[in-house]
Amino acid sequence: MGSDTTETQRTQRLHREAADHFLNPRNVGDADEPSFAGRAASLVCGAHVRFSIQVDEAQKVSQARFRAAGCHVLVAAASMLTEQVAGLTTAEAATLDVADSSCAALARDALLGAIREYSNAARDDWAGDEALICTCFFVSERTIEREINSLGLTTVTEVTRACNAGGGCGSCHQLIQEILATNDLPR
Amino acid sequence: MIYLDNNATTRVAPEVLDAMQPYLSEFFGNPSSAHALGREMKRVVEHSREQVASLIGASETSEIVFTSCGSESDNWAIRGVLATQPNKKHIVTTQVEHEAVRNVCRLLEQEGYEVTWLGVDGNGELNLDELRSALRPDTALVSIMLANNETGVLFPVEDIGRIVKEKSEAVFHVDGVQAVGKIPIDLKSTAVDLFALSGHKLHAPQGIGGLYIRKDLSLPSFIIGGAQEQGRRAGTSAVPNIVGLGAACQLALDDNHHELIERLRNRLEDEILANIANARLNGAADRSKRLPNTSNISFEYVDGQNILMHLDQEGVCVSTGSACHSTTHESSPTLRAMNVPFTAAQGSIRFSLGRYNTEADIDTTLRVLPAIIEKLAAMSPYDKELAALR
Repeated sequence: MGSDTTETQRTQRLHREAADHFLNPRNVGDADEPSFAGRAASLVCGAHVRFSIQVDEAQKVSQARFRAAGCHVLVAAASMLTEQVAGLTTAEAATLDVADSSCAALARDALLGAIREYSNAARDDWAGDEALICTCFFVSERTIEREINSLGLTTVTEVTRACNAGGGCGSCHQLIQEILATNDLPR
Repeated sequence: MIYLDNNATTRVAPEVLDAMQPYLSEFFGNPSSAHALGREMKRVVEHSREQVASLIGASETSEIVFTSCGSESDNWAIRGVLATQPNKKHIVTTQVEHEAVRNVCRLLEQEGYEVTWLGVDGNGELNLDELRSALRPDTALVSIMLANNETGVLFPVEDIGRIVKEKSEAVFHVDGVQAVGKIPIDLKSTAVDLFALSGHKLHAPQGIGGLYIRKDLSLPSFIIGGAQEQGRRAGTSAVPNIVGLGAACQLALDDNHHELIERLRNRLEDEILANIANARLNGAADRSKRLPNTSNISFEYVDGQNILMHLDQEGVCVSTGSACHSTTHESSPTLRAMNVPFTAAQGSIRFSLGRYNTEADIDTTLRVLPAIIEKLAAMSPYDKELAALR
């Protein structure tokens, strides 16, 4: 990796890697059950991608699979993403930086969809004393309320900045919004 | 390399290159010059004009004007016809024209013209009754292609010409770029007034086109300058390219390989449709209604751009109608006009054969293609839809 001496060599290596992922895509198919899936499609290029993941007890992505009907760049991006997210927590996976291309963004959107499906299920299954809101960063309703009231927060972005809640897959943004509304007391 | 993209462009034929060679070296003069070298250039340009006229069945050689490309010919024909009829503001064309016609007509709409865009049916064919009812006293121009570049579907320009002349006083322009050299054409027996052609589609080099202008019609110049081409198109004649176009037309007349090309195309098409479950033909199943070299096939639920790149890895060159591939990010307007479902248009591949293709080319293509489609189908998120096709 560190042997690239020039920018051109680095670019060429990335192209070779992408070409290899296109010709020999990794992790094609569907994650084993129980799994969580997300889809993304583009009206611009007509591509359609489906991402499915399995998440273990430690909330790490233990399996990632994809299906795609799209161009070679999308297939390479999705294939690479399945390798990148393996072993990451859902929070890490949801905040991964992807290449600056619409194809990579489409693959990431499908992954986010899968993480959100997981998060919604995890939230519903949560058996703790306090309601769990952000499953990516494991933040309870009570913690969020405390931050809102002690710091006088009014937006989801402020809540995320204060306690990470909502900083992952984003599936809890609506819930945070509702908590903000009920705690919107005259000060 | 296996080149199945002859509707995009063609290889310059060795016969064409041989004919051009002297005019790229010792015969370098300007046909407008009065000296012996200039006169030789003039002679060869006129000889080339005869060869073009004879391939498309013009009644007089002077009906052919050399241009830089098919798009110039189309632009000139359309703009020229409208300029000579300033009081008529209606145009009839189709939804499946090449960009060189379609985009000019779109611009004309913005400039105040009314355009009737004739649709096509699922086979890519026109409804001539729709044409009949579209024609009006203020129709200045009817512009309809002879052969569709994507599907190879042929429009009946003889019938169309008859209807245009019966029902209106419109000028009839035909974009013939994709048909010339592929099927016999005899313009003098039709009512076609203007006919665009392009050299590189029939084994002449890129950068040379032609416009047939019926002898009783006069168009204002599009390129203004000197008196070349009898004052109709300025710009120093591109003699080597003109010689190339003439030689290519002669080659198409003498030895056109149509039967070989058609046989190879039929075999390719038959075997793909028979052996690949998600393959479907785009365009009339009746092959007499299509160019003999073109087969446009959709591989449903997989992406054409991806198929193209896989075939490219195997050295097979094709085109796709996928939105991803196009610079405008639109799926093929021709396939959309034919109501081809989106998931099929996305997986469309155009195979267009030429005189240099062999049985071995088709063998190889038929060997590598099913595995590619199978691989992409196994990867497709439309797994349920694909399972239903098996």
